[in-house]
Amino acid sequence: MTKQARHTKTKRYGMVIDLDRCTGCGACMVACYAENNVPFRKDESDKMLSLNWLRVFKVDNGKPFPDTEICYIPKPCMQCDGRHMEGHSPCVSVCPAVATDYDEPTGVVSQIYTRCFGCRYCMAACPYHARKFNWWDPVWPADMEKYLNPDVSARMRGVVEKCSFCYHRYQKARDSAYVEGRDEIAENEYQPACAEACPTRAITFGDLLNPEHEVYELSRSKKAFRLLEKLKTNPKVYYLTAKNWVRRKADNYLEGESPADRKPAHKAETASH
Amino acid sequence: MTTPAIPEGVKRCSTRKFAIWLAVVGAVLLWGVYAMFLVWYKGLNQTGMNDAYGFALWIWADLAVIALGGGAFFSGFLTYIIGKKELKNVINYAVIIGFICYSSALLILALDIGQPLRGWFIFWHANVHSMLTEVAFCLSCYFGVLTIEFIPVVLENPKLDRIPFLHHLSHNLHEVMAVFAATGVFLSFFHQGSLGGVAGVLYGRPFAFREGLLIWPWTFFLFTWSAAAVGPCFTVMVTWLTEKVTRKKLVKQEIFQLLGKISGWMLLTYMIAKIADTLYWAVVTAPSKGFALMDFYSNNPVYGIWILIAELVVCGLVPAFILISRKGRENNTMLITAMILAVIGVCINRWVMVLQVMAAPLLPFQEWYMYMPTWQEVATTILPVAYGIILISLAHRYLPVFPQEKELNPGN
Amino acid sequence: MKIDRRCFLSLVIGGAVGTTLTPVPWKLTDDIAIWTQNWPWTPTPEKGPSVYKKSVCTLCNGGCGINVRTVKGQAKTIAGQADYPVNRGSLCPMGISATQHLYGPSRIQSPMKRTGDRGQGKWEKISWAEAISTVSEKLAELRSRKKPHTVACIAESDRGTVPYLLQRFLTAYGSPNFIRTPSSFDAQEQALYLTQGKHGTIGYDLANAEFILSFGCALMDGWGTPGQMLSASADFKQKNKLVQVEPRLSDTAALASQWVAAKPGTEAALALGLAHVIVRDNLYNKDFVDNYAFGFEAWEDENGTVHQGYKSLLKQYPPKKVAGITGIDKGTIESLARKFSRAKHSVAICGRGSGMVPGGMDEALAVFALNALVGNINQPGGVTAIPEPDYWPEMQRDKTASNGMQQPRVDGAESDRFPNTRYLLNRVPEAINSAKDESPIQALLVAGGNPLYTMADTETAKKAFDKIPFIASFSTYMDETAQYADILLPNHHFLERYEDVPTPAGTPTRVIGLTRPVVETRHDTRHIGDTLINIAGSLGGFIENAFPWGNYEEFLKQTLAGQWDSLEKQGYWVDPEFMPPAWEEAFQTPSGKYEFYPSQRSNPSGKDADALPGFRQVELPGVQEKMPLTLMPYASARIAGGAVANPPFMTKTVDADVIRDGDVFVEINPKTAKEHDFSEGDAAVLKTPAGKARVRIHLFEGLMPGLVAMPVGLGHAAFSDYIAGKGANVNALLTDVTDPGSGLNAGWGSRASLVKA
Repeated sequence: MTKQARHTKTKRYGMVIDLDRCTGCGACMVACYAENNVPFRKDESDKMLSLNWLRVFKVDNGKPFPDTEICYIPKPCMQCDGRHMEGHSPCVSVCPAVATDYDEPTGVVSQIYTRCFGCRYCMAACPYHARKFNWWDPVWPADMEKYLNPDVSARMRGVVEKCSFCYHRYQKARDSAYVEGRDEIAENEYQPACAEACPTRAITFGDLLNPEHEVYELSRSKKAFRLLEKLKTNPKVYYLTAKNWVRRKADNYLEGESPADRKPAHKAETASH
Repeated sequence: MTTPAIPEGVKRCSTRKFAIWLAVVGAVLLWGVYAMFLVWYKGLNQTGMNDAYGFALWIWADLAVIALGGGAFFSGFLTYIIGKKELKNVINYAVIIGFICYSSALLILALDIGQPLRGWFIFWHANVHSMLTEVAFCLSCYFGVLTIEFIPVVLENPKLDRIPFLHHLSHNLHEVMAVFAATGVFLSFFHQGSLGGVAGVLYGRPFAFREGLLIWPWTFFLFTWSAAAVGPCFTVMVTWLTEKVTRKKLVKQEIFQLLGKISGWMLLTYMIAKIADTLYWAVVTAPSKGFALMDFYSNNPVYGIWILIAELVVCGLVPAFILISRKGRENNTMLITAMILAVIGVCINRWVMVLQVMAAPLLPFQEWYMYMPTWQEVATTILPVAYGIILISLAHRYLPVFPQEKELNPGN
Repeated sequence: MKIDRRCFLSLVIGGAVGTTLTPVPWKLTDDIAIWTQNWPWTPTPEKGPSVYKKSVCTLCNGGCGINVRTVKGQAKTIAGQADYPVNRGSLCPMGISATQHLYGPSRIQSPMKRTGDRGQGKWEKISWAEAISTVSEKLAELRSRKKPHTVACIAESDRGTVPYLLQRFLTAYGSPNFIRTPSSFDAQEQALYLTQGKHGTIGYDLANAEFILSFGCALMDGWGTPGQMLSASADFKQKNKLVQVEPRLSDTAALASQWVAAKPGTEAALALGLAHVIVRDNLYNKDFVDNYAFGFEAWEDENGTVHQGYKSLLKQYPPKKVAGITGIDKGTIESLARKFSRAKHSVAICGRGSGMVPGGMDEALAVFALNALVGNINQPGGVTAIPEPDYWPEMQRDKTASNGMQQPRVDGAESDRFPNTRYLLNRVPEAINSAKDESPIQALLVAGGNPLYTMADTETAKKAFDKIPFIASFSTYMDETAQYADILLPNHHFLERYEDVPTPAGTPTRVIGLTRPVVETRHDTRHIGDTLINIAGSLGGFIENAFPWGNYEEFLKQTLAGQWDSLEKQGYWVDPEFMPPAWEEAFQTPSGKYEFYPSQRSNPSGKDADALPGFRQVELPGVQEKMPLTLMPYASARIAGGAVANPPFMTKTVDADVIRDGDVFVEINPKTAKEHDFSEGDAAVLKTPAGKARVRIHLFEGLMPGLVAMPVGLGHAAFSDYIAGKGANVNALLTDVTDPGSGLNAGWGSRASLVKA
């Protein structure tokens, strides 16, 4: 642990995505690709072979015309806190080589590409399909290597990668705070590329434990929920919607069950220590 | 025709015939080797796997061969620890089959990782919380044990046996074999179990997830138990196949029956546990995560409830009852059929615990994920079979694998 | 020494054991692992300090302010410029991924001339000197034959210094044929002229509007300025601001508080029906209508003829009848009309989809009239006319040029038939194809746009292009039109060049943005402004004199001298003096008022009903019996539908039920699918009178039964193999349908059939 990290309070960085604002434009995805040097291939129509740290799903309420409604659900890595909020996210606990880790100070689940040897157990473990495998050597045609972001390394074939909440931006913010003699970084100093790029401001990002951050209130709102909460993975990505049918798309319900019966989404309080 | 390389008193086919046989199987092997190099050179894009199917045919093959190779540890356990001396008549073959299974498993594992050249990180940077780490350690250690168990069998080749050092080595190894067998049993309990744990700990995957005891999910115990139950069946099945191919009786029927009986009871108890586990999962675990049982068996082209019935009834209870009944065991057709069913049953179980886990959708707006292996995957999965056949052929030809062969085939 | 077997075995085993005891195998294992961690073919980006540079994106006409992060002179990532008055920090995915086009394989890297057949893709690299002289010789030759008017120039915009230089060049040279590529703003700007008497850019103050009634505008998928629309949409849902009229549940409809699924092509009827209710119930703004509007009531012209007014026309559109036309129930029409008239700032907008097709004038005028009824003109949250830039220096021209300029335009714009229409690119193919002898266009300069991709009925357009003896393209990318040219004079990428971007369409303020080089020029390209100056210089005489600047940058700085400081510093300039004029002085129509009865509208029949905005069903091409379905294109924010194709990043975001394995999916309602025996994923052939395409079927409940919806922007045949060959181009399946009074393309769709492939 670095010197300055010891000074700072434990953080649980999280995201709140307002589904009633999302228009499905895809700016978040594209910004993520550009920021994180996500490669591309000539044909990416097989989404299970397409490297996507963030994917926006389109869902509908299944009702016939003209009562149909649609909603877009952006799905980055959920940065799960794990069953007992102690960082044993589904993926971290299974990695045989400690190539993925739960960062205690921030709650971000990291991936060390040079450590990963590509067993893909973490992918089998992740219920969100947030983890992506480099099935091919990445190729940047023409001069496209030139746009690669120097803050993020390009991944070699045969390793798993995933959304890091743009952790390199956190490191940069922390470093400049350190240089300026500050212990804490401000809310707007660390924002992942997707949140920054969202043109409808549907994505809010910050420390879920910090009452001064916008996500604190939002994640505790009545409209907040998370994906597959019943699995007890405890994601740090929250969603907002006023629509019950959208909430039904986020988790599995037995006959007669309803999202309305669910307890409030937020559990992050228990993690503050 | 007898050359000094062939054990005394047994008849083997002509070199020419043997060479043709080897060439045919060797061609299949080469096909597999070609696919293997393609995968290593070009990467895992040569497979039909994708981000939904991080685990697929190969992991299934791994789990299946290790379960079937379980005959080695369980026969060893029965022979050396329980003291069923009559099983010495199959223990050599059980060890060879086990050796083939485990070496194949290791080969497939080496194929199945994206960065084979860093595969050793699993040992160097081991995460003790990961079931896969446990698998890797136990698997490698047990493979070492199997190799040690295999060496004396090899050294019994008449030519090698003539070398005094090897003769003594072989003799001494035989003396301490019980120790290795015990070590093997211990390791096997763990790695068979950890393989079960691989799926069972996935709490994000309701189809696979099982509650458990301490750090081990129930699948941990179920896998060990099922491997012990079905491993000997596979040993008998392969022996029976070898007999069919060589057109010779190699092991006495009562040995088959004894193994059948033991397997039968093991299988029955396993089935009781497995059914209890399935019921608890279907009634408690899955619904707590919002899934009804039939959610896992509908809305897709492959995985219907039939697969559960096939695993538990047709390839579970049915062979178990055949094997525990004297009448069933004494009828050779019934005995072998039951054993084959049991082998299929455990293969289905491993398939389900790997591939159906990947196939079942989790988010309500997702569909079932379907997977089709490429020829490269199929070829590399057949590769160990060809390699096994070759090793078995060589072993059978040059090593005194079956102590009863001479007795059963007099006049050679 | 004799080596026996035993010795050999000992050696081998001993050697093996011995080696493992040395560090060699362990070191090697480690080294190999380290090698895999640093594979030389996996690039390592060069580190360096970040430098942020402001510019303006010109990938579409939206003109969003951007902030480009550069490291060591290379552009890395692009974000919206937070304080830019148009997009306020928001940026669409196309803008964000612009670096992919900058560095990608679609760039034309130097001037080239065609060596093979047209469109064959065989090129020879040439020098700039040769390129300039080839073009100038051709132009000089036409001029010497007194045919300067047979030169045409296509551009995506007619505003800003570059389009101005193009127009200036044509004027000095002697051709009236400067043609802007079509968009829905053709109809809206004409409606603006007809009702307010002004040429200008139309501004909609959507951010301050309380209620937005959108007639099929894909606000979230590329209409107007994408960044601006996305930015404004943040509170649409929360504040129940938007009502969307269209037959498909688009991303915009999804964001609306009410989705009104009117039958396609009946938007004008709905607008008139709403106006009927507003007028019937006296819900309109009396101050505006009584004092500042003309033609609401019946009026008498100078000859004493009494003309019908808008009010009495509306009597023909009672809700019941409109319900029958549109398929919207009466109650909805009534309540919508009340909501529209009661909200404080209501604005109605039109321009179907992303606004690539102009649409008919009736529709535009009917929608404009709604805004006038509630008096929301030059008000906050309303409609405003933004004056066109007028900072151009004088010039002189010779007689050949003057004669040339007297000739009628090739496209028929500003003719007696279409007096109020400025550009009609859609009519060019027919003009060429129907010409008795040689093509009326002898040389074509493609200085923007990508007509061979974006024009309806692309095949016919291609046939017309075949007859043009000389085509020069200034495109930055090897697009479909460049691929069909004879000579390429590639412009810099927008991240490498200067350019001014005046008020983008739809923006309610008067603003100029500055596109400027954020990276060094990468290839042997040249700024189109410089190329024009070079060609002018090479032609000599008055033409050369009309271009007295050393280079484009000098001209730009000179032209925008007054704004340059601000442009340089903040990347934009906002006209501090611009205020929407009060109603008293706002209108420059013959009546000096807002004209509900557009007296200037081309009206050969002379009937009042033809001057007033009525509902006239657009006859789509094709026979209904043979083609029972109706194809409508739809826009998606994830697919660039314009001249510049999707960069790979954007295609990556497209779902597998839109494009898969090179096939495009068309949406149909499950009901339609049942009728035609289709299920999800089926391959089919989609036929229209213009052509056919292989497609696959996607069932979508959110589409009106009987329609086939197909995304715009796929099926490219050029650019690079990362872009081309994905799906089919919907434009190739559509046909131009001439709007009677304006000549604009009113064809919003086509009859179609779907058969199993």
